[in-house]
Amino acid sequence: MAREHEHWTEQGEIFALGALDGREGEDFEAHLAAGCAICEAHVRETRETLSVLHRALKPINPPGAVKTRLFDQIAKDNVVPIAAARTKQIAPWRKITGALAAGIVGIVIGGTYYRLHYEPRHTVYSAVINLLLDPVTRDHTLFGTGPTTQAKGRFLWNESGEGHIFATNLPTAPEGKMYAVWTIAHNSAPRYVGTITTDANGQGGLHINSTRSEKPIETFAVTLEPQGNTAAPSGPMVLVSKQS
Amino acid sequence: MAADSNIAVQLIQRAAAQDREAFSQLYDRFSSLVFSLAMRMLRAQSDAEDLLQEVFMQVWRQAGSYSQERGSPEAWIINIARSRAIDKLRAIRRRDKSFILTDDPAAAESPDNVESAVGESEAKLAMNSALANLPEAQRRVLELAFFSGLSQTEIAERLAEPLGTVKTRMRAAIQRLRVMLGTQAA
Repeated sequence: MAREHEHWTEQGEIFALGALDGREGEDFEAHLAAGCAICEAHVRETRETLSVLHRALKPINPPGAVKTRLFDQIAKDNVVPIAAARTKQIAPWRKITGALAAGIVGIVIGGTYYRLHYEPRHTVYSAVINLLLDPVTRDHTLFGTGPTTQAKGRFLWNESGEGHIFATNLPTAPEGKMYAVWTIAHNSAPRYVGTITTDANGQGGLHINSTRSEKPIETFAVTLEPQGNTAAPSGPMVLVSKQS
Repeated sequence: MAADSNIAVQLIQRAAAQDREAFSQLYDRFSSLVFSLAMRMLRAQSDAEDLLQEVFMQVWRQAGSYSQERGSPEAWIINIARSRAIDKLRAIRRRDKSFILTDDPAAAESPDNVESAVGESEAKLAMNSALANLPEAQRRVLELAFFSGLSQTEIAERLAEPLGTVKTRMRAAIQRLRVMLGTQAA
Protein backbone atom coordinates (compact mmCIF):
# COMPACT_ATOMS: atom_id res chain seq x y z
CA MET A 1 0.00 0.00 0.00
CA ALA A 2 2.79 2.39 0.97
CA ARG A 3 4.71 1.52 -2.19
CA GLU A 4 1.58 1.96 -4.26
CA HIS A 5 1.08 5.41 -2.83
CA GLU A 6 4.66 6.32 -3.40
CA HIS A 7 3.95 5.77 -7.09
CA TRP A 8 0.75 7.81 -6.97
CA THR A 9 2.47 10.55 -4.98
CA GLU A 10 5.09 10.88 -7.68
CA GLN A 11 2.45 11.05 -10.36
CA GLY A 12 0.40 13.51 -8.31
CA GLU A 13 3.17 16.07 -8.24
CA ILE A 14 3.46 16.13 -12.02
CA PHE A 15 -0.34 16.13 -12.24
CA ALA A 16 -0.52 19.19 -9.96
CA LEU A 17 1.87 20.89 -12.31
CA GLY A 18 -0.51 20.13 -15.15
CA ALA A 19 2.07 18.11 -17.06
CA LEU A 20 0.97 14.53 -16.54
CA ASP A 21 -0.32 13.26 -19.87
CA GLY A 22 -1.10 10.10 -21.80
CA ARG A 23 -1.99 6.87 -20.06
CA GLU A 24 -0.28 7.99 -16.86
CA GLY A 25 -2.56 11.00 -16.71
CA GLU A 26 -5.66 8.92 -17.35
CA ASP A 27 -4.68 6.39 -14.69
CA PHE A 28 -4.04 9.08 -12.12
CA GLU A 29 -7.32 10.82 -12.90
CA ALA A 30 -9.11 7.51 -12.47
CA HIS A 31 -7.33 7.04 -9.16
CA LEU A 32 -8.47 10.47 -8.00
CA ALA A 33 -11.99 9.86 -9.30
CA ALA A 34 -12.07 6.68 -7.22
CA GLY A 35 -11.83 8.97 -4.19
CA CYS A 36 -8.26 8.74 -2.91
CA ALA A 37 -8.20 11.37 -0.18
CA ILE A 38 -4.44 11.02 0.28
CA CYS A 39 -3.66 11.91 -3.31
CA GLU A 40 -6.28 14.64 -3.41
CA ALA A 41 -4.67 16.29 -0.40
CA HIS A 42 -1.22 15.83 -1.89
CA VAL A 43 -2.23 17.45 -5.17
CA ARG A 44 -3.79 20.34 -3.27
CA GLU A 45 -0.67 20.80 -1.16
CA THR A 46 1.56 20.65 -4.24
CA ARG A 47 -0.51 23.33 -5.94
CA GLU A 48 -0.04 25.58 -2.90
CA THR A 49 3.71 25.00 -3.14
CA LEU A 50 3.67 25.84 -6.82
CA SER A 51 2.11 29.20 -5.97
CA VAL A 52 5.66 30.45 -5.67
CA LEU A 53 5.89 30.32 -9.45
CA HIS A 54 3.24 32.87 -10.26
CA ARG A 55 4.25 34.97 -7.28
CA ALA A 56 7.72 35.18 -8.77
CA LEU A 57 6.32 37.16 -11.68
CA LYS A 58 6.46 40.90 -11.52
CA PRO A 59 2.86 41.96 -10.82
CA ILE A 60 1.24 43.78 -13.71
CA ASN A 61 -1.80 45.90 -13.03
CA PRO A 62 -4.49 45.24 -15.64
CA PRO A 63 -6.14 48.16 -17.43
CA GLY A 64 -9.08 49.55 -15.50
CA ALA A 65 -11.29 48.88 -18.52
CA VAL A 66 -11.19 45.15 -17.79
CA LYS A 67 -12.85 45.61 -14.44
CA THR A 68 -15.45 47.87 -16.02
CA ARG A 69 -16.18 45.23 -18.69
CA LEU A 70 -16.37 42.52 -16.04
CA PHE A 71 -18.94 44.36 -13.96
CA ASP A 72 -20.86 45.34 -17.09
CA GLN A 73 -21.00 41.69 -18.05
CA ILE A 74 -22.22 40.71 -14.61
CA ALA A 75 -24.94 43.34 -14.75
CA LYS A 76 -25.90 42.57 -18.34
CA ASP A 77 -25.97 38.82 -17.99
CA ASN A 78 -27.60 39.03 -14.60
CA VAL A 79 -25.27 36.24 -13.54
CA VAL A 80 -26.24 35.02 -10.12
CA PRO A 81 -23.60 33.42 -7.92
CA ILE A 82 -24.30 29.93 -6.72
CA ALA A 83 -25.15 30.81 -3.13
CA ALA A 84 -27.58 33.51 -4.23
CA ALA A 85 -29.22 31.10 -6.64
CA ARG A 86 -29.65 28.71 -3.76
CA THR A 87 -31.39 31.18 -1.51
CA LYS A 88 -33.68 32.39 -4.26
CA GLN A 89 -34.35 28.83 -5.34
CA ILE A 90 -36.66 28.67 -8.33
CA ALA A 91 -37.00 32.36 -9.21
CA PRO A 92 -33.76 32.84 -11.18
CA TRP A 93 -34.40 29.67 -13.13
CA ARG A 94 -37.50 31.20 -14.66
CA LYS A 95 -35.29 33.73 -16.35
CA ILE A 96 -33.47 31.06 -18.26
CA THR A 97 -35.10 30.25 -21.54
CA GLY A 98 -35.38 27.45 -24.05
CA ALA A 99 -33.45 24.29 -23.70
CA LEU A 100 -31.58 25.53 -20.69
CA ALA A 101 -34.78 25.95 -18.73
CA ALA A 102 -36.02 22.59 -19.91
CA GLY A 103 -32.76 21.06 -18.85
CA ILE A 104 -32.90 22.54 -15.38
CA VAL A 105 -36.51 21.53 -14.90
CA GLY A 106 -35.56 18.02 -15.92
CA ILE A 107 -32.80 18.02 -13.39
CA VAL A 108 -35.05 19.27 -10.61
CA ILE A 109 -37.64 16.65 -11.39
CA GLY A 110 -35.22 13.85 -11.79
CA GLY A 111 -32.54 15.02 -9.44
CA THR A 112 -33.15 13.17 -6.27
CA TYR A 113 -30.44 10.68 -5.75
CA TYR A 114 -27.12 12.28 -6.32
CA ARG A 115 -24.61 11.09 -3.85
CA LEU A 116 -26.62 12.44 -0.97
CA HIS A 117 -24.43 10.50 1.39
CA TYR A 118 -21.52 12.72 0.42
CA GLU A 119 -22.83 16.01 -0.86
CA PRO A 120 -25.69 18.29 0.18
CA ARG A 121 -28.33 18.28 -2.53
CA HIS A 122 -28.15 22.02 -3.07
CA THR A 123 -24.46 21.80 -3.84
CA VAL A 124 -25.15 19.32 -6.60
CA TYR A 125 -28.02 21.43 -7.93
CA SER A 126 -25.76 24.46 -8.01
CA ALA A 127 -23.03 22.55 -9.77
CA VAL A 128 -25.47 21.31 -12.40
CA ILE A 129 -26.85 24.80 -12.91
CA ASN A 130 -23.32 26.04 -13.44
CA LEU A 131 -22.75 23.33 -16.00
CA LEU A 132 -25.88 24.34 -17.86
CA LEU A 133 -25.00 28.01 -17.72
CA ASP A 134 -21.73 27.32 -19.48
CA PRO A 135 -22.40 27.56 -23.23
CA VAL A 136 -19.76 24.95 -24.03
CA THR A 137 -21.46 22.24 -21.95
CA ARG A 138 -22.79 19.45 -24.18
CA ASP A 139 -25.89 17.41 -23.52
CA HIS A 140 -25.78 13.80 -24.70
CA THR A 141 -28.59 11.29 -24.70
CA LEU A 142 -27.67 7.86 -23.35
CA PHE A 143 -29.26 4.76 -24.84
CA GLY A 144 -29.84 1.46 -23.08
CA THR A 145 -27.96 -1.46 -24.55
CA GLY A 146 -27.03 -5.08 -23.84
CA PRO A 147 -29.03 -6.43 -20.91
CA THR A 148 -30.73 -3.07 -20.22
CA THR A 149 -32.27 -1.80 -23.44
CA GLN A 150 -35.02 -0.12 -21.42
CA ALA A 151 -32.52 2.13 -19.63
CA LYS A 152 -32.16 5.78 -20.62
CA GLY A 153 -29.98 8.62 -19.54
CA ARG A 154 -28.41 11.97 -20.18
CA PHE A 155 -24.83 13.05 -19.87
CA LEU A 156 -23.97 16.72 -19.42
CA TRP A 157 -20.31 17.21 -20.21
CA ASN A 158 -17.97 20.13 -20.11
CA GLU A 159 -14.49 19.63 -21.54
CA SER A 160 -13.07 21.17 -18.39
CA GLY A 161 -13.64 17.70 -16.93
CA GLU A 162 -16.89 18.39 -15.10
CA GLY A 163 -20.05 16.54 -15.95
CA HIS A 164 -23.28 15.07 -14.67
CA ILE A 165 -24.94 11.81 -15.60
CA PHE A 166 -28.60 10.89 -15.05
CA ALA A 167 -29.98 7.40 -15.50
CA THR A 168 -33.52 6.03 -15.47
CA ASN A 169 -34.87 2.49 -15.80
CA LEU A 170 -31.48 1.12 -14.84
CA PRO A 171 -31.92 -1.70 -12.32
CA THR A 172 -29.86 -1.59 -9.14
CA ALA A 173 -26.48 -3.25 -9.71
CA PRO A 174 -26.35 -6.85 -8.46
CA GLU A 175 -24.42 -7.73 -5.30
CA GLY A 176 -20.68 -7.44 -5.89
CA LYS A 177 -21.18 -5.38 -9.05
CA MET A 178 -21.21 -1.67 -9.81
CA TYR A 179 -22.04 0.63 -12.68
CA ALA A 180 -18.81 2.24 -13.85
CA VAL A 181 -18.98 5.47 -15.87
CA TRP A 182 -16.44 5.99 -18.65
CA THR A 183 -15.51 8.79 -21.00
CA ILE A 184 -13.80 7.90 -24.26
CA ALA A 185 -11.80 10.33 -26.35
CA HIS A 186 -10.89 9.72 -29.99
CA ASN A 187 -8.47 6.79 -30.34
CA SER A 188 -8.06 6.68 -26.58
CA ALA A 189 -8.68 4.12 -23.89
CA PRO A 190 -11.85 4.52 -21.82
CA ARG A 191 -11.29 6.61 -18.77
CA TYR A 192 -13.10 5.81 -15.52
CA VAL A 193 -14.79 8.90 -14.06
CA GLY A 194 -16.97 7.47 -11.31
CA THR A 195 -19.57 4.97 -10.19
CA ILE A 196 -23.28 5.60 -10.55
CA THR A 197 -25.80 3.92 -8.26
CA THR A 198 -29.51 3.59 -8.89
CA ASP A 199 -32.41 3.17 -6.49
CA ALA A 200 -35.26 0.70 -6.47
CA ASN A 201 -37.00 2.76 -9.18
CA GLY A 202 -33.98 2.53 -11.43
CA GLN A 203 -33.10 6.19 -11.07
CA GLY A 204 -29.72 7.60 -10.23
CA GLY A 205 -27.21 10.29 -10.92
CA LEU A 206 -23.63 11.25 -10.42
CA HIS A 207 -21.80 14.53 -10.51
CA ILE A 208 -18.36 14.17 -12.03
CA ASN A 209 -15.38 16.32 -11.15
CA SER A 210 -12.52 14.93 -13.15
CA THR A 211 -9.87 16.76 -15.09
CA ARG A 212 -9.60 17.92 -18.65
CA SER A 213 -8.88 15.28 -21.24
CA GLU A 214 -6.18 15.93 -23.79
CA LYS A 215 -8.65 15.18 -26.57
CA PRO A 216 -12.35 15.98 -26.76
CA ILE A 217 -14.57 13.22 -25.40
CA GLU A 218 -16.49 11.43 -28.13
CA THR A 219 -18.35 8.69 -26.31
CA PHE A 220 -19.85 8.26 -22.86
CA ALA A 221 -20.66 4.82 -21.52
CA VAL A 222 -21.72 2.92 -18.42
CA THR A 223 -20.72 -0.70 -17.91
CA LEU A 224 -21.55 -3.28 -15.27
CA GLU A 225 -18.30 -4.15 -13.55
CA PRO A 226 -17.08 -6.19 -10.61
CA GLN A 227 -16.82 -3.95 -7.53
CA GLY A 228 -13.59 -1.97 -7.60
CA ASN A 229 -12.74 -2.42 -11.25
CA THR A 230 -11.78 1.01 -12.48
CA ALA A 231 -8.82 0.12 -14.69
CA ALA A 232 -10.65 -0.74 -17.89
CA PRO A 233 -14.17 -1.83 -18.80
CA SER A 234 -14.61 -5.60 -18.76
CA GLY A 235 -18.35 -6.11 -18.30
CA PRO A 236 -21.41 -5.50 -20.46
CA MET A 237 -22.25 -1.99 -21.59
CA VAL A 238 -25.60 -0.83 -20.19
CA LEU A 239 -25.73 2.79 -21.39
CA VAL A 240 -23.93 4.46 -24.24
CA SER A 241 -24.13 7.85 -25.92
CA LYS A 242 -24.15 6.52 -29.50
CA GLN A 243 -26.81 4.25 -30.91
CA SER A 244 -25.42 1.18 -32.62
CA MET B 1 -0.43 35.39 5.04
CA ALA B 2 -3.07 33.42 6.99
CA ALA B 3 -4.89 36.64 7.88
CA ASP B 4 -4.82 37.71 4.23
CA SER B 5 -6.19 34.35 3.22
CA ASN B 6 -8.99 34.61 5.79
CA ILE B 7 -9.97 38.02 4.47
CA ALA B 8 -10.04 36.61 0.94
CA VAL B 9 -12.21 33.72 2.08
CA GLN B 10 -14.66 36.20 3.60
CA LEU B 11 -14.71 38.20 0.37
CA ILE B 12 -15.52 35.05 -1.61
CA GLN B 13 -18.30 34.18 0.82
CA ARG B 14 -19.75 37.67 0.48
CA ALA B 15 -19.44 37.52 -3.31
CA ALA B 16 -21.37 34.25 -3.21
CA ALA B 17 -24.16 36.22 -1.54
CA GLN B 18 -24.12 38.65 -4.50
CA ASP B 19 -22.14 41.33 -2.69
CA ARG B 20 -20.56 43.19 -5.60
CA GLU B 21 -18.50 45.44 -3.36
CA ALA B 22 -16.85 42.36 -1.86
CA PHE B 23 -16.31 40.94 -5.33
CA SER B 24 -14.74 44.23 -6.37
CA GLN B 25 -12.32 43.99 -3.45
CA LEU B 26 -11.57 40.40 -4.37
CA TYR B 27 -10.81 41.49 -7.93
CA ASP B 28 -8.53 44.27 -6.69
CA ARG B 29 -6.70 41.80 -4.48
CA PHE B 30 -5.99 39.16 -7.11
CA SER B 31 -6.36 40.74 -10.55
CA SER B 32 -2.71 41.75 -10.91
CA LEU B 33 -1.59 38.22 -10.00
CA VAL B 34 -3.93 36.71 -12.55
CA PHE B 35 -3.07 39.29 -15.18
CA SER B 36 0.68 38.86 -14.81
CA LEU B 37 0.23 35.10 -15.09
CA ALA B 38 -1.98 35.55 -18.14
CA MET B 39 0.55 37.86 -19.78
CA ARG B 40 3.32 35.38 -19.08
CA MET B 41 1.38 32.45 -20.48
CA LEU B 42 -0.42 34.04 -23.42
CA ARG B 43 2.05 36.81 -24.28
CA ALA B 44 -0.59 39.05 -25.82
CA GLN B 45 -2.28 41.80 -23.86
CA SER B 46 -5.68 41.42 -25.49
CA ASP B 47 -5.73 37.68 -24.78
CA ALA B 48 -4.56 38.30 -21.22
CA GLU B 49 -7.33 40.84 -20.67
CA ASP B 50 -9.94 38.44 -22.04
CA LEU B 51 -8.62 35.68 -19.80
CA LEU B 52 -8.71 37.93 -16.74
CA GLN B 53 -12.34 38.77 -17.41
CA GLU B 54 -13.27 35.11 -17.99
CA VAL B 55 -11.50 33.99 -14.82
CA PHE B 56 -13.32 36.47 -12.62
CA MET B 57 -16.66 35.70 -14.27
CA GLN B 58 -16.06 32.09 -13.28
CA VAL B 59 -15.07 33.15 -9.77
CA TRP B 60 -18.29 35.18 -9.50
CA ARG B 61 -20.41 32.28 -10.71
CA GLN B 62 -18.71 29.64 -8.62
CA ALA B 63 -18.02 31.60 -5.44
CA GLY B 64 -20.71 29.61 -3.65
CA SER B 65 -18.99 26.34 -4.42
CA TYR B 66 -15.64 27.43 -3.00
CA SER B 67 -14.51 25.90 0.25
CA GLN B 68 -11.17 26.13 1.99
CA GLU B 69 -10.83 22.39 1.55
CA ARG B 70 -10.21 23.13 -2.13
CA GLY B 71 -7.15 25.19 -1.23
CA SER B 72 -6.44 28.82 -0.46
CA PRO B 73 -8.40 31.47 -2.38
CA GLU B 74 -5.26 32.39 -4.25
CA ALA B 75 -4.50 28.80 -5.28
CA TRP B 76 -8.15 28.32 -6.32
CA ILE B 77 -8.22 31.43 -8.49
CA ILE B 78 -4.79 30.77 -10.00
CA ASN B 79 -5.79 27.20 -10.78
CA ILE B 80 -8.84 28.50 -12.68
CA ALA B 81 -6.61 30.96 -14.53
CA ARG B 82 -4.00 28.35 -15.46
CA SER B 83 -6.62 25.88 -16.59
CA ARG B 84 -8.23 28.44 -18.90
CA ALA B 85 -4.89 29.70 -20.15
CA ILE B 86 -3.76 26.16 -20.97
CA ASP B 87 -6.99 25.65 -22.93
CA LYS B 88 -6.22 28.74 -24.97
CA LEU B 89 -2.61 27.74 -25.50
CA ARG B 90 -3.59 24.29 -26.70
CA ALA B 91 -6.13 25.79 -29.08
CA ILE B 92 -3.49 28.15 -30.39
CA ARG B 93 -1.01 25.28 -30.76
CA ARG B 94 -3.53 23.25 -32.68
CA ARG B 95 -4.20 26.21 -34.90
CA ASP B 96 -0.68 27.42 -35.44
CA LYS B 97 1.27 24.24 -34.72
CA SER B 98 3.35 26.37 -32.47
CA PHE B 99 3.35 27.05 -28.79
CA ILE B 100 4.04 30.75 -28.84
CA LEU B 101 2.04 33.64 -30.15
CA THR B 102 3.62 35.51 -32.96
CA ASP B 103 2.65 37.56 -35.98
CA ASP B 104 5.01 35.48 -38.03
CA PRO B 105 3.98 31.81 -38.19
CA ALA B 106 7.28 30.86 -39.78
CA ALA B 107 9.17 32.40 -36.92
CA ALA B 108 6.97 30.61 -34.44
CA GLU B 109 8.20 27.29 -35.77
CA SER B 110 11.76 28.17 -34.99
CA PRO B 111 13.18 26.55 -31.85
CA ASP B 112 15.41 29.59 -31.45
CA ASN B 113 12.37 31.77 -31.24
CA VAL B 114 10.88 29.50 -28.58
CA GLU B 115 14.02 29.52 -26.53
CA SER B 116 14.43 33.28 -26.74
CA ALA B 117 10.83 33.81 -25.70
CA VAL B 118 11.33 31.61 -22.67
CA GLY B 119 14.56 33.36 -21.84
CA GLU B 120 12.96 36.76 -22.09
CA SER B 121 10.23 35.75 -19.68
CA GLU B 122 12.71 34.24 -17.28
CA ALA B 123 14.39 37.59 -17.09
CA LYS B 124 11.18 39.01 -15.71
CA LEU B 125 11.22 36.71 -12.73
CA ALA B 126 12.02 38.29 -9.43
CA MET B 127 15.45 37.07 -8.47
CA ASN B 128 14.73 37.13 -4.77
CA SER B 129 12.29 34.29 -5.23
CA ALA B 130 12.82 30.69 -4.37
CA LEU B 131 12.98 29.99 -8.06
CA ALA B 132 16.31 31.69 -8.31
CA ASN B 133 17.76 28.98 -6.09
CA LEU B 134 16.68 26.13 -8.32
CA PRO B 135 19.21 24.56 -10.65
CA GLU B 136 18.71 25.88 -14.16
CA ALA B 137 17.60 22.54 -15.59
CA GLN B 138 14.96 22.10 -12.90
CA ARG B 139 13.67 25.62 -13.19
CA ARG B 140 13.38 25.27 -16.92
CA VAL B 141 11.14 22.19 -16.89
CA LEU B 142 9.03 23.74 -14.16
CA GLU B 143 8.51 26.90 -16.17
CA LEU B 144 7.75 25.10 -19.40
CA ALA B 145 5.06 23.13 -17.61
CA PHE B 146 3.65 25.88 -15.43
CA PHE B 147 3.84 28.90 -17.70
CA SER B 148 3.84 27.39 -21.18
CA GLY B 149 1.32 24.68 -20.37
CA LEU B 150 3.43 21.92 -21.89
CA SER B 151 2.97 18.32 -20.85
CA GLN B 152 5.86 16.18 -19.69
CA THR B 153 6.01 14.50 -23.12
CA GLU B 154 6.01 17.82 -24.94
CA ILE B 155 8.77 19.12 -22.69
CA ALA B 156 10.86 16.02 -23.32
CA GLU B 157 10.45 16.52 -27.06
CA ARG B 158 11.14 20.22 -26.84
CA LEU B 159 14.32 19.78 -24.81
CA ALA B 160 15.33 16.55 -26.56
CA GLU B 161 15.67 14.88 -23.17
CA PRO B 162 14.40 11.45 -22.07
CA LEU B 163 10.94 11.58 -20.51
CA GLY B 164 12.31 10.03 -17.32
CA THR B 165 14.82 12.83 -16.98
CA VAL B 166 12.13 15.45 -17.36
CA LYS B 167 9.96 13.79 -14.72
CA THR B 168 12.85 13.48 -12.32
CA ARG B 169 13.70 17.14 -12.76
CA MET B 170 10.12 18.22 -12.23
CA ARG B 171 9.76 16.25 -9.04
CA ALA B 172 13.16 17.32 -7.76
CA ALA B 173 12.23 20.94 -8.39
CA ILE B 174 8.95 20.63 -6.52
CA GLN B 175 10.65 18.88 -3.61
CA ARG B 176 13.25 21.59 -3.48
CA LEU B 177 10.60 24.30 -3.49
CA ARG B 178 8.88 22.54 -0.62
CA VAL B 179 12.03 22.54 1.45
CA MET B 180 12.81 26.17 0.67
CA LEU B 181 9.28 27.29 1.40
CA GLY B 182 8.85 25.09 4.43
CA THR B 183 5.74 23.49 3.05
CA GLN B 184 6.92 19.91 3.28
CA ALA B 185 3.88 17.75 3.82
CA ALA B 186 3.81 15.89 7.12
